[in-house]
Amino acid sequence: MISYIGRRILAVIPIVLFAIFITFVLIRISPVDPAEAYLTAAHIQPTEEILAEKRKEFGLDQPLHIQYVQTVMKICRLDFGKSYLTNEPIIEEMTERIPATMQLAVSSIVLAIVISIPLGFLSAIYKNSLIDKCSRLLSFFGASIPQFWLGYLLIFFFSVKLDLFPVEGRGSWQHLVLPAVTLSLALIAIYTRLLRSSVLEQLQESYVLYARTRGLRERTIVAKHVLKIAITPVITGLGMNMGKLMTGTIIVEQVFSWPGFGRYFVEAIFNRDLPVIQSYVIFAACLFVVCNLIVDLVQLYMDPRISLKGRKDS
Amino acid sequence: MFNSGKKAILLMVGMILLLSTALMGCNSQENAPTVEQDASPTEKAITVSWPRDIGPMNPHTYNPSQLFAQSMIYEPLVSYKEGGKLEPHLAESWSISEDGKEYTFKLRKNVKFSDGTPFNAAIVKKNFDAVMSNPKLHSWLGVISALEKTEAVDEQTFKMILKAPYYPTLQDLSLVRPVRFLGEAGFPDDGDTSKGVKKPVGTGPWMLSEYKKDEYAVFTRNPNYWGEAPKLDKVTVKIIPDAETRVMAFEKGELDLIYGEGVISMDSFNQLKASDKYGSKLSEPVGTRSLLLNTTNEKLADQRVRLALQHGFNKQAMVEGITLGLEEKADNILSKNFPYTNIDVAPVEYNVEKASAYLDEAGWKLPAGKTVREKDGQPLELELIYDKTDPIQKAMAETMQAEWAAIGVKLNITGLELTVQIKRRRAGEFDIDFWYNYGAPYDPHSFINVVAEKGWGVSEAHSRVPMKAELDKQVKEALASTDETKRQELYGSILKTLQEQSAIVPVSYIKKTVVYQKNVKAFSFPANRDEHPFNSIEVSE
Repeated sequence: MISYIGRRILAVIPIVLFAIFITFVLIRISPVDPAEAYLTAAHIQPTEEILAEKRKEFGLDQPLHIQYVQTVMKICRLDFGKSYLTNEPIIEEMTERIPATMQLAVSSIVLAIVISIPLGFLSAIYKNSLIDKCSRLLSFFGASIPQFWLGYLLIFFFSVKLDLFPVEGRGSWQHLVLPAVTLSLALIAIYTRLLRSSVLEQLQESYVLYARTRGLRERTIVAKHVLKIAITPVITGLGMNMGKLMTGTIIVEQVFSWPGFGRYFVEAIFNRDLPVIQSYVIFAACLFVVCNLIVDLVQLYMDPRISLKGRKDS
Repeated sequence: MFNSGKKAILLMVGMILLLSTALMGCNSQENAPTVEQDASPTEKAITVSWPRDIGPMNPHTYNPSQLFAQSMIYEPLVSYKEGGKLEPHLAESWSISEDGKEYTFKLRKNVKFSDGTPFNAAIVKKNFDAVMSNPKLHSWLGVISALEKTEAVDEQTFKMILKAPYYPTLQDLSLVRPVRFLGEAGFPDDGDTSKGVKKPVGTGPWMLSEYKKDEYAVFTRNPNYWGEAPKLDKVTVKIIPDAETRVMAFEKGELDLIYGEGVISMDSFNQLKASDKYGSKLSEPVGTRSLLLNTTNEKLADQRVRLALQHGFNKQAMVEGITLGLEEKADNILSKNFPYTNIDVAPVEYNVEKASAYLDEAGWKLPAGKTVREKDGQPLELELIYDKTDPIQKAMAETMQAEWAAIGVKLNITGLELTVQIKRRRAGEFDIDFWYNYGAPYDPHSFINVVAEKGWGVSEAHSRVPMKAELDKQVKEALASTDETKRQELYGSILKTLQEQSAIVPVSYIKKTVVYQKNVKAFSFPANRDEHPFNSIEVSE
């Protein structure tokens, strides 16, 4: 198992390198000249002389492969450079924004778990009942409604009309409710359906039939046996979504003025703050890789046969 | 198999516990006072919104510091008032030598910074030195390039010596940045403010008393303020990046006022304006949205073609339709509310027949069975570049494409990244582009400067105008002129020529908007486009 974990961790390295490469290439093929973007952000008139000076300072006069190696080396030292706009180290600016995004991501995950598990479970047990139909409706709604629109609707009804929550900002738990609900609705939609189909699938399994023939009560069968197994895909799904949420939920942070990671990225785009855009993309890629790794390790913990299979394959 | 089920439940419970702990960790500030809870009932306070964080509040640098907030803390020597009138501010009076090269300022007595330290010639010089130590950063500003040296003559006298006379010196000194004054306590140890300031200490009516990056900034009255104290005790600025959220926060009453350019959508402004629950105002023009026609293009070098294009679109209908009345049709390149710009021009009216006649006269004929005019086998095809993220530019580009098609002009419209658009303009690589003047207090001198000075694309675009050399000469004369009458004459002549030549086609006057709750009184737009409006505001119970 340890060698499997080791191999999985090692596999992260080429993926991250590839992500850095793609980001590097995308920035280079974009029509925006980094030196010019810097001067525009710093409010300096871009004369040819200053442009040449800045290009040299940023190493843009070096051959591409050297620029790439330098970028990788810097990132390995966790040196993401400075923002063109604020002239502050990007790593510090990102660290400042992580707690806000974490808070929102974690709240929406908790909310999604608390709602989708009972709902998914009940809609499977009481298949085609009112609760199943309601959960289906909620899932369709959650999966299809654009988040910005849902955000506006929630603000309009619960904040402007009913005056239950503040419209925007961060501070108290009330501030957290609407953005967390907006984010979690899409998750609830997915997990409810995922759990429902997983439970229904398990109910067809022979161990359930065996339990029934043993005369166990239906409630005991589903609560003690079926749910424990049916929940596995939901855990995998949660892990996958964690990366998405942790990189900042651009639209929700924008709509609710949440001072997190996504807003930082949007501002960087508007200001053509290339080092920030590059760092964000690389960070997001790393986070996704790590989340996937965690999911794999969790699956390994759940089902040690994975590592055995890996060993056999190798 | 059941063993893995137990693991799942264990994992799930563990995860929820972990997440909840993390959540509580993130939410440690839950009990910290929030902005709304702070206000005491007797306090006169308003809450406003702004799309971006106010920034590091350094008076000598630019983005990301926000101009309105800088202007609350820091003050100029001279202030810019209605109609371009310059009034004493931190300088009580000033004198200009006859050759226009020496400016002597008598500083106002008993002015203190918000930390109680005195404002005097020495600190003025220290601020000037800090600005002048980074000339590249400020090369765009005429007075910085013209400045030779500064001198603190005595406690209350400060002198500036220029390399050559430059009449808009005082206008440049009235700008919000970079020549405003930071107190001693704000300077970094090495005195180089371009890298940052220790704290924002100014002489202005407001002090930054509380600040949370990307969330809010609270300004309270400066107890040491030398002038008339603001009527409000506190201004809270909430950072709300989304325009629709801003409107909903306003409707809910979380905001008292939304002010600025393009800060709410045109629809929302009209909707709030129609409601009798709120007050709203549109400012005088703060700038002109124009089209820049590049005369280096052979087709546009002909004045008749430029005039035909101007006659060939219904400006009134386009501006009203696209901006929903928030902008006003422009006939003058510079609106009349700037100094020296109050000149009458004959509006170029929408007239398709006249447009066609001009094109015919210029030799651009419409061949039978074709929709695009031709001359010597060349089609009359032009490209208009626009900022693809700007919905107004895009809609106007599309309108003109349709309108000019009717007079036989094929307009290709290309949406570009803003930096690419600016780059192409500066390189002269465009046929037609959108262009904006700078507004008060930069104009009209900054405008005529770019007409003559290469590097901005405007001078280049005029290079095939027959009297370009004469225009450039007049601009130089006007900028160096010390005689008010002569200057007015020169401005009149320059603007008249530019209007006639039609290489700049005025489209609309841009205005600022404000919406406010009914208890907000005495709002007025500042004459300086970048200044804050909070000094005059009052709130009723």
